[in-house]
This record gives sequence, structure tokens and C-alpha cells, in this order.
Amino acid sequence: MKIPNIKLKNQLALFNAASKALIITLLVMIIPWLVSKVSIRDTDDVLIQKLERVIALVDSLGIDSFIDQEADYNTFGSYNILKEEYISIEPVKKDTLIDVIEFSRRIIEDEVVDYRVLSYSIMKDGNNYLIEIGKSISAIYQFEHNLKRFTFIFLIIVIVLSFLLDLSVIQYLLLPFDKIVKKLKLTNHPSSFNYNTVKTSTSDFIYLEDTINSLMRKIEAAFNDEREYISNVSHELLTPVSIIQSKLDNILHEGKLSEQDMIKIVESKKTLRRLTNLIRTLLMMSRIENEEYILTEKVNINNTIKNVIEEIEEKITAKKLELKLELNASEFLIDGNENLLFTLFYNFINNAIRYTENGSVKIETLKIQNQFYVKISDTGIGISPEKLPLIFSRFKNSNETKDSYGLGLALSKKICDYHKISVEVKSEINKGSEFILKFNV
Amino acid sequence: MRILIVEDEKALASEIKQFLEKEEYNCDIAHTGNDASELIADNPYDFILLDIGLPDFNGLDLIKEAKEYNSEAYFIVITARGELEDKLKGFDLGADDYLPKPFSLLELLSRIQAITRRKFGQKMSVIEFGDFSLDTMKRYLQFKDHGIDLTKKEYKLLTYLVLNKNRILDRLQLTEHIWGDFFEDDYDSNYIDVHVKNIRKKLSEYDNTNWIKTVRGIGYKFEIE
Repeated sequence: MKIPNIKLKNQLALFNAASKALIITLLVMIIPWLVSKVSIRDTDDVLIQKLERVIALVDSLGIDSFIDQEADYNTFGSYNILKEEYISIEPVKKDTLIDVIEFSRRIIEDEVVDYRVLSYSIMKDGNNYLIEIGKSISAIYQFEHNLKRFTFIFLIIVIVLSFLLDLSVIQYLLLPFDKIVKKLKLTNHPSSFNYNTVKTSTSDFIYLEDTINSLMRKIEAAFNDEREYISNVSHELLTPVSIIQSKLDNILHEGKLSEQDMIKIVESKKTLRRLTNLIRTLLMMSRIENEEYILTEKVNINNTIKNVIEEIEEKITAKKLELKLELNASEFLIDGNENLLFTLFYNFINNAIRYTENGSVKIETLKIQNQFYVKISDTGIGISPEKLPLIFSRFKNSNETKDSYGLGLALSKKICDYHKISVEVKSEINKGSEFILKFNV
Repeated sequence: MRILIVEDEKALASEIKQFLEKEEYNCDIAHTGNDASELIADNPYDFILLDIGLPDFNGLDLIKEAKEYNSEAYFIVITARGELEDKLKGFDLGADDYLPKPFSLLELLSRIQAITRRKFGQKMSVIEFGDFSLDTMKRYLQFKDHGIDLTKKEYKLLTYLVLNKNRILDRLQLTEHIWGDFFEDDYDSNYIDVHVKNIRKKLSEYDNTNWIKTVRGIGYKFEIE
């Protein structure tokens, strides 16, 4: 059986209420029982005193004044009018010896009455008589019943009150805990953690918070180290590239080279640029992984796509492709990083152009039920089903015939994840591909 | 024009110096922040090229300091970190331009020239060739009194060629100037050629001179006496 998750404060309040209920239930059982026990004992004492007085009366007045020896029905009986008590005397066999007190239910004038009855045999004038003195115990039963009912109601009230009281007290006591949890929840980046301590006098919470704070400090330090490392690595890589580039620039600038040598230098510069772009892409990916980019810019996606198109239109013109631009979503504003989103669309659109030899590249923005979509589709070579799952992996190119470093789509995927954009790809060989980006606004 | 190059990488600093001196700028080099701060205190510079990744000094602090002695100087910040935050901070502190490593020396020169033109205003921003005049600031081209429509990229390309007249510009330098440093992967692209073709066509409607010469296998050159 699965135990449902319950808040700590409710668990504590429930546990308190349950333990109180247990104690009070025990009391409900025991107190009326004890009270009736004591009452019965008192009744018994009264019965014994009365017996002594009856015996004294019999002794002084003589048995004959109670029992008519000649009558057929020779018993004596006396009830008070409310039948709360009765006394009877009757002759019994000579060898009968009785001395008991017991419960007895009598029907008197069609009325059932519970009695506590003292039966006692006595020898008088050579005859044996049984004296019975009874006292109604309905009052005791009634009292016990009432007592049970009241304690039961009392139990319910006490439990409800104590549960509510416990709940509010526990809630108050756990307030710092809630605050600590809330603080952690608001922290989506180690550098944004609030080290100010929550005000509390509970040592457990102070201990908890100290532990969390020291852990966060360690995480933040590790995070900063990592960030510095990436920054330094890129610096270390880009500086030598920069030196080579400057040297090549100066060689060209001298203008003393033959045409052939100049072409070689220009080719080297291209290779250097490839290397630079590779380093920059890797650096960008690491920075996204480290969450170094802030996503607080309001980015108009339609405008970003237009900017990308402006930069990339030569490629479409050069390949004589048709560009279909349907930016139908109005007020397509996203909290994000404009640079990253630009790179994202640049990569997707650039890929669409690259793998399409004739036909069209279509870019659509849509808003369906408050959900924004960008669709980038082409009529290009497509991606085979077995390669489809690999396209977002680093350095795994879906098309070996074109030279690419397999980083463009991996970077795009990272940018999507970072902006909580989900990507769906549909593709058919020689028919084209479609990338659908769904923005979770 | 006097330029201070603050760059801890000695090889890079000397390449920059060599290039700029050929363009007739006077250059001093500082390899450390301390050297730079001493040089700045003693000499009036027109430009300070500053690598913010100095080992002994936060480059951005150096801008603050330099502004006190050389309030007229222009700052071009060079960085290999390329972080956007640094870029913004650099501009806030009065850096006039920003170049990520690696950059082409020609691009650096064109940034320096652009700032200089801004400084001297209108009279330097208009360049004439034949009966054409090109306003590099207002992005305006006219033949005699007749305005010629060019696209944004065509302006940028033509301006770059004209400003570097009689110099061979390779396709990569032109691409870099126009598209910046996207994660471009078509290194053998000829998109520049498309633009050059269009510019030539537009100019030839007014004048038959072939201003833009093709340098086979390399790029283009704007030829003018």
C-alpha cells in the first residue's frame, strides 16, 4: 500500500491528535467502569446496613408480625411506591443457607427494573427464612450511560481543538523551515543564492541552514572555478590563433608575395577561421551548460527571424531557392537571450538552405491556443530515420558528404533546452525536413 | 596619430605595431598594466588598444585610470573572452569599440578610421571618386546630384573597399566586415561576389570606369589614382 505524502506539520498534528484520542478513549472506558464499581459497592454497603436493621426489627417484633404462618401464601413483601427498593421475607427449606449479593432483573407490574439484591437466610423459631433486600440500580446505569456520552463528546471536542491548536503552533514553529525551502526553490543558479539566514530560534533549523549555506558556498566556488576555467581555456586557445592571424595579415599587407603564395595565405586564413568558429561554438556550449547567459531580454521572435533572414538572404538567392516567410504569430515575445536565439534560428535556417538544392525554405511563426510555434521546413535531401536520433549529438553529422563539424545542431539543441523550447523533427529522404520549435511561454 | 597598444602577448603586440606603423601611426607598446599606466600618465595618446585580459591589472580599471590623464583618448577594447557582460561593461566605462580575438588587422584599422572620421565629422566622412561621392556616415551615395540606391550591405561593402582603396582585400576580410563573426561554416562562399556584382552594375549605369578590380583567387581591390 502506498502511503500518501503528508506535510510534516499535518503529520505532527495528526500524531498528537491520535495519541490524545487514545488516552481519552482509555479514560472513556475506564472512568464510567470505575464510577459504577464504586457506586455498586456503596449500594452493597447500604444493603448490608438495611439487612442489619431488618434483622433487628425481626428480632424485636418477632417473625410472626411479618409472616402469617397460617396463610397459604405466607411471604412478606414491601415496596416503596417508586419501586426503588423492596424487602421480602419468605420461608425456605431448613437446609438452605444463602448469603449473596447479586444483580437481578425483576418484572414488577409490567415494568423491568434492574436491582442489586442482597439475599440472606436466617433461622427464626426453628424455621428458615430468606430475607431479600433489593435496591434499584437503574440510576447507576443511567449515570454510567450519561458519563460515557459526555466523555465521548468531550473527547471529540478535545481532539478537534487540540488538532487545530497543534496545527497552528506547529505551523508557526515550522515557518522558518518553509522559508528555507522557499529560498532554495527560488535559487536557479548558485550565484543567485541568498545567504541571509532565516530568523529562527530553533537550533535544528539554524543547523540545517548552516549546512545548506556551506554546501551552496562550495557549489558556487566550484561553479566559479569551472566558469573561470572555460574562460581561460578559450583565452589560451584564441590568443595563439590571434597571433597567427595577425602574422598572416601582415604578410599579406607587405604585398611582396607572388599570387600563388598569396592564395595559400588566404587559404590558411580560412582554415584559421574554421578553428576560431569551432572554439567559439564550444565556448558558447560550455557557457550555456554553465548557465552564464541571462534570459531576461524580451525578444521579439518575428524580428529575430527577420534579422537572420537579412544576414542569410544571399545564400537563398545564390541557390535560387524560394523563401516563404509566414510570420503569423503576433506579439511573439519571449524572455530569453537575443544573441542565443539569433544563433539558434541562424543555425536552423542555414541548415535548411544548406541541405536544399532546389525548391523552397519556409519559415512560419504560429500561435495556437496561447502556444507559440516556429516551423522551419525545406524541400531538401531529408534525414534518414536511423540518423534522425543522432542529429543533435556533437560531431555526428547526418550527412557525411558535406563538410561540417556537427556542432551547429548540437548547439541549437542546447539553446532550445536552455530556453525551454521543445524541438520536433519530421523528415523524409529526398522530400525534405521540418523542424517544429514549441515555445513554453 | 599616436596609439598605445596594451597587450600582454608580445608577439601579437608587435604584429599590431608593425601593421599600424606601416599605416603611419605612431605606436607604443605596454605589456603590463603598470607599464600602460606609466605611459598613459606621461604621453597624450589618440587611441588606446586595450586587451582586458591583462595578468596584473583589470583592463577595465585601466580605462577609468586613463580617462583621468588622457580624456581625449579613444579606447578600443580587445578581448579573447568575448563575454557579452564585458562588452557592456566596456562601453559603460567609455570604451569606444570592441574587438573579439582573433580579429583581422584590417578590421582593427577600419575601426580606428571610423572613430577618427566620427571625431572630425562631415569633411572626412565624404569620399569622392570620379563624379561619385560616398558619405560614409550618412550611408549616402550620389553621382553628381543624383542619388543612387544601395542596400545596407552594399553600402558597407563599398565603403570598406573605398576606405581601403588600392589595397587587396581578401574575401574573408570582406565577409568578416559585413557579417561579423557568426558561426559561419561556408568558408568557400562567394556571397561577396554577388554583392560586388550588384554594386558594379549600379555604378556602371552612371559611369563606365571599372573601379572594383577582381584579384583572382583572393578578393577585390578598389583602384583609384
